[in-house]
Amino acid sequence: MTANIPAIPLGDAHHDAEAEYREEHLMLDPRPREEMNNMVLESMRDKSLSFWVTAGVLGMLVAVALFGAWGYMIANGMGVTGIRRPVFWGVFIANFVFWIGISHAGTFVSAILRVFKAEFRRPFTRAAELMTTFGLAAAGLYPLIHLGRTWRFYWMIPYPNQRWLWPNFHSPLVWDMIAITTYLLSSTMYLYLPLIPDLAMARDHSEGWAKKIYGWLAMGWRGTEAEFRHLNTAINIFAFAIIPVMFSVHTIVAWDFAVSKVVGWHSTVFGPYFVTGAILSGVSAVTMVLALIRGTMKNMKYFIRPEHFDALGKLVLIFSMSWGYFFFNDFNLEWYGGEAAGHAVMEYHTKGPLAWIWYGMLIANLIIPWATLWNKNVRRNPWAMFVIGFIINLGMYAERYMIVTFVLSRGRMPFDWGWYKPSLVELAISLGSIALFLFLYVVASRLIPLVPVWEVQEGQLAHTLRKIGRATVISVSELE
Amino acid sequence: MSEKSTHAHMAVFAKIDHIAEALERLREFGIQEKDMSVISGYPISDEMLGRPMVWSNVPKIAMGGFIGAFIISIALNWGTPLLYPIHVGGQPLLPVPPTIILTFEISMLGLMLSTFLGVLWESLFPSYGPKIYHPDVSHGKIGLVFTCPDDQCAAIHKALTEAGAEWVRQMEAKPL
Repeated sequence: MTANIPAIPLGDAHHDAEAEYREEHLMLDPRPREEMNNMVLESMRDKSLSFWVTAGVLGMLVAVALFGAWGYMIANGMGVTGIRRPVFWGVFIANFVFWIGISHAGTFVSAILRVFKAEFRRPFTRAAELMTTFGLAAAGLYPLIHLGRTWRFYWMIPYPNQRWLWPNFHSPLVWDMIAITTYLLSSTMYLYLPLIPDLAMARDHSEGWAKKIYGWLAMGWRGTEAEFRHLNTAINIFAFAIIPVMFSVHTIVAWDFAVSKVVGWHSTVFGPYFVTGAILSGVSAVTMVLALIRGTMKNMKYFIRPEHFDALGKLVLIFSMSWGYFFFNDFNLEWYGGEAAGHAVMEYHTKGPLAWIWYGMLIANLIIPWATLWNKNVRRNPWAMFVIGFIINLGMYAERYMIVTFVLSRGRMPFDWGWYKPSLVELAISLGSIALFLFLYVVASRLIPLVPVWEVQEGQLAHTLRKIGRATVISVSELE
Repeated sequence: MSEKSTHAHMAVFAKIDHIAEALERLREFGIQEKDMSVISGYPISDEMLGRPMVWSNVPKIAMGGFIGAFIISIALNWGTPLLYPIHVGGQPLLPVPPTIILTFEISMLGLMLSTFLGVLWESLFPSYGPKIYHPDVSHGKIGLVFTCPDDQCAAIHKALTEAGAEWVRQMEAKPL
């Protein structure tokens, strides 16, 4: 076994099969470590005009659409939004749920694939984990925005004070705050730990201030046996521990709705229904991000290959089916129960003036993935996966929008039925949060290695080709 | 060895087989396991190197953090309503289901924070002082850092070169 990957002992007759395998699988297509380092660093250092234009436009959108509109709202009050009786939760809460959902897949993809030792995960775990951190950054803004008087957010924090205000520690709002804080801190640490060896690699390849910053972030990493032992032990603990936390966070977000007595929200299936939807939208978003990284960053075609889109496409299909199952659970029992208030809410969804959103959601979340993702050629096409991922995310956003606003529009008392239309300020803030997520991602892509090179090399060491009978097959060794 | 003058040395290899062989040679010269260390750009297991297993206390630290956070959570869940009671119509002051939710979240936060801090503690991070290191390691080579008595150095360098070292030299610790 060598550091720069083993020669594969095959006869001449198998060279064609070997070449095919190498082209298909990153794990079977090793390159010298230094070359892989340089490929990743080159992609980080490529600051072309298109990069600056993209970062500049996104930065402007964040400044104007997000913070500008938010500042305008703070100055003029919540009256500038479309939030009116009876719809007191508008797009801000829909956006909050959406971004929490997006943030789920990063950790899900990374942690669960690590636990099950799915080797195809190796090149894109970090790209997925970054989605979690930045998705949570966008999500975390919305409770503050929705609060209106943002500067009083600390009133939520339970500590003895002279105001004689003591938030109920057992309130669902406190569940939310603690769960999101736990998830944000955990996923940031889970992002940072595997990054340390790559930061050390960047340190060794940098000069000047960049070397100082990478050196500071790498904390003195050298790659000793003990350092790797502690790191791998910690990553394994994180991978197991963060999965139930991930499930709990979106379940708690679902319970924000379900613990109320609002018809259409008070559902026992809401927890798993929300979690499945979150993973569906998040995994779809991972495919979109990977397609963008592969299509726009240098050298990424080597690391991100059709095999990865193929595997993620299967995950998307499975979660689309799971989402359909939970959706039908929720829908069918309400329909069968025959409660008048419940039927009024359902009729508003299926026959109301905005019913096209409900049908659009079903087309986007069920029909399109089921009609396309059974096909391997579609799953292996990055831009097709980008489009499908985008459509699914539109569908999932529509679902959150309807859960929040449609249900509140049709309460138990017909005299209190109403209508919600998001204002320009709300739309601007929503657009701004999308820009914030993209801006953070674009900036991060030039500051940290998006591909965990050491994990890719470790995986490549473990893979080889064997001849069994007349077939050439992939063999994976247990190196850990 | 302690009575003799010793210095740190580093050898760099391209292959794991070679470094496993080099470690064997060092043992033949009487170098102790604690006086040699392998540094690499990717994890190499102790079994591959034929080295004693490196023990990690990270799981114990993680468990300690979990238990500590669990106790804090119970104190917050039960202590705060008793100190600052809020009576909500028909609801108990110390409800069990919300306590389970909050205890789970806080305990898991304790587990993961302590895991993270455990890595820093066990690896003595952050550590910005001078160290024996060479950037060839992050270029894909495998480094072997060892200390040896000065009177044996020439023979050890020769033995390591024969074992496949690309270079062997005495090193001074420098800031990374």
